[in-house]
Amino acid sequence: MTFYPAAAPPDGDRRTAKQKIAAYLEPWLYSAPVLILIVAIMLVPLALGISYAFRDIRLLNPFSGAFVGLKHFRELAGDGAFRGALVNTLWWTFSSVILQFLFGLILALLLNRPFRGRALAQALCFLPWAVPSFLSGLDWAWMFNPVVGPIPHWLYALGILSEPSNILSDPETAMWGPIVANVWWGIPFFAITMLAALQAIPKDLYEAAEIDGAGPIERFRSITVPFLAPTMAISILLRTVWIANFADLIIVMTNGGPADRTQIVASYIFTQAFRRLDFGYASAIALVLLVLLLAYSMLIVVLRQTMLTRH
Amino acid sequence: MASITIQSITKTFGTVPVLHDIDLSIADGEFVVLVGPSGCGKSTLLRMIAGLEDITGGEIRIDGRRINEVAPKDRDIAMVFQSYALYPHMTVADNMSYSLKLRKTARERIAEAVGAAAGKLGLDPLLERRPKALSGGQRQRVAMGRAIVRHPKAFLFDEPLSNLDARLREQMRAEIKRLHKAIGATSVYVTHDQIEAMTLADRIVAMHGGIIQQVGNPLDLYDRPANLFVAGFIGSPAMNFVDGHCRSGAIETDDGSRIAVPGGIDLAEGQAVTVGIRPEHVRIVAGSGAGSYTARVDLVEPTGFGTIVHVRLLGQDLKIYTLERGAAEVGEPLHIALDGDRLHVFDRETTNRIG
Repeated sequence: MTFYPAAAPPDGDRRTAKQKIAAYLEPWLYSAPVLILIVAIMLVPLALGISYAFRDIRLLNPFSGAFVGLKHFRELAGDGAFRGALVNTLWWTFSSVILQFLFGLILALLLNRPFRGRALAQALCFLPWAVPSFLSGLDWAWMFNPVVGPIPHWLYALGILSEPSNILSDPETAMWGPIVANVWWGIPFFAITMLAALQAIPKDLYEAAEIDGAGPIERFRSITVPFLAPTMAISILLRTVWIANFADLIIVMTNGGPADRTQIVASYIFTQAFRRLDFGYASAIALVLLVLLLAYSMLIVVLRQTMLTRH
Repeated sequence: MASITIQSITKTFGTVPVLHDIDLSIADGEFVVLVGPSGCGKSTLLRMIAGLEDITGGEIRIDGRRINEVAPKDRDIAMVFQSYALYPHMTVADNMSYSLKLRKTARERIAEAVGAAAGKLGLDPLLERRPKALSGGQRQRVAMGRAIVRHPKAFLFDEPLSNLDARLREQMRAEIKRLHKAIGATSVYVTHDQIEAMTLADRIVAMHGGIIQQVGNPLDLYDRPANLFVAGFIGSPAMNFVDGHCRSGAIETDDGSRIAVPGGIDLAEGQAVTVGIRPEHVRIVAGSGAGSYTARVDLVEPTGFGTIVHVRLLGQDLKIYTLERGAAEVGEPLHIALDGDRLHVFDRETTNRIG
């Protein structure tokens, strides 16, 4: 074993206690500005929000604010509306993400091949992304309204509806309204990311595969998909978390109704906090949602890592 | 293996013509190199043979069968790309066997073919690696391996060595030549590098501006270039060109010097010509004599094996390639003589060779 004098002098450390403390603190002092910023901007609000979940905070009750322990969570465990919202969240999130992804990918594949007026078509396809979500929610709500909108009449003409009614007011079909609006609004995100990834694939590979004897489907399977896989994984992960938290369209179009059939966890939090003004209970629900999404993110990150190391 | 016949092929991109009425026939087992500067249409012609570009006009036949409308995969050709175009997510073995798998070849046959190709190219220890983990030269070998496993009728090479460093390029060049000798398959090779063209080709097709300038074996192109373009393109250092007119039986250059007309060439009095002189055919002589010229040395470039000497002569910067070291010093006068039989005379108007 080798001893380095600076690290461990055999005759003991001769520095004074003050010097030792200074040496120990030095790196922390250098990083202090950033650490203070992170704590102040990110951790303090997070901790406050989490603390609300264990306190009784109701805006209408000036005597509230006391620590209540796990009361909110016990309440939550027996809250049927919350369980319904969880199921709706799964339904809302996965059907939105899958449809957005599929249509986004198809759009990207179409836009990736050269044709006249491609630049204009690209600009038009990416337009929904620029529309504020509240506005697009209102738009779609009107389009589903048989009095002012055409969609119920079209669906009736196609024989899908037995009468031109508003699908948003039927508990069986209401969820499809916000999902359709969300898909329309979210396709450009996938189209942009997939198009960028598609354009990074060298054209030579497709030519080599064509000569090797691969047809269009085989070329898609053996070149396009492997090249897009990392982008697909990360964009689907991002979108899933995003959409699970995304209540704007639901609040605007159905407000969680009819009969809580479109209530997702995010809109339920909104309802608890801003309609019933029960911030404590809303924070408890938010904490549960946070834990679920964190678990999901970890799962995807691990999945992506194993995928990357395999390649 | 097969012959390839190209009949009055034309190609336009939109309204821009890139190939004009190309005729070429490639014999079974022949190694033909298409050479020319970038934009001359050589790669386009190769890609038309491969089926990666539409044929605007004319006809291409492989073994007598018209393939204009045949899909690339059914033409039974293999292509090696400049970028290698290896599938990055597949191992070397998978890259090489991909085309055979798609053709539903039996597993044992695939293993046999891949093994044989890997053996020929020294790829055995790399079979389980991915392209990412290979050097440029190894990737090049895999690209060739992918081509040879299938035993195609013809090999098409699109500037396959351009992405390699000079030393590796030399090595791979020799390897391609050896491989061609061993396999004997019909090969069409595109390059802008005239050394590659000279060393590899059975026959060179020199192209410029979408037109075939000359077809012939490498030494033909070097010894008897058909026009000014070929003369300037083939050979390094490049040929010297001196403009002049025929005046009373000799060529008078623009600065008033006279060059004797080589034997067997008839020139009309006053005809505008360009004389081509290869740097290696300019001799440095001991003293001034009949037919010799004296010039001051401008610049000396030693290349190790030989030396390139620039002199101011015949109204221009004339390059001399000599194997003698220390034959010239900058600023010193130099006596030189031209080899009469090795001069090339071109009509300046048509740019074609005279005689």
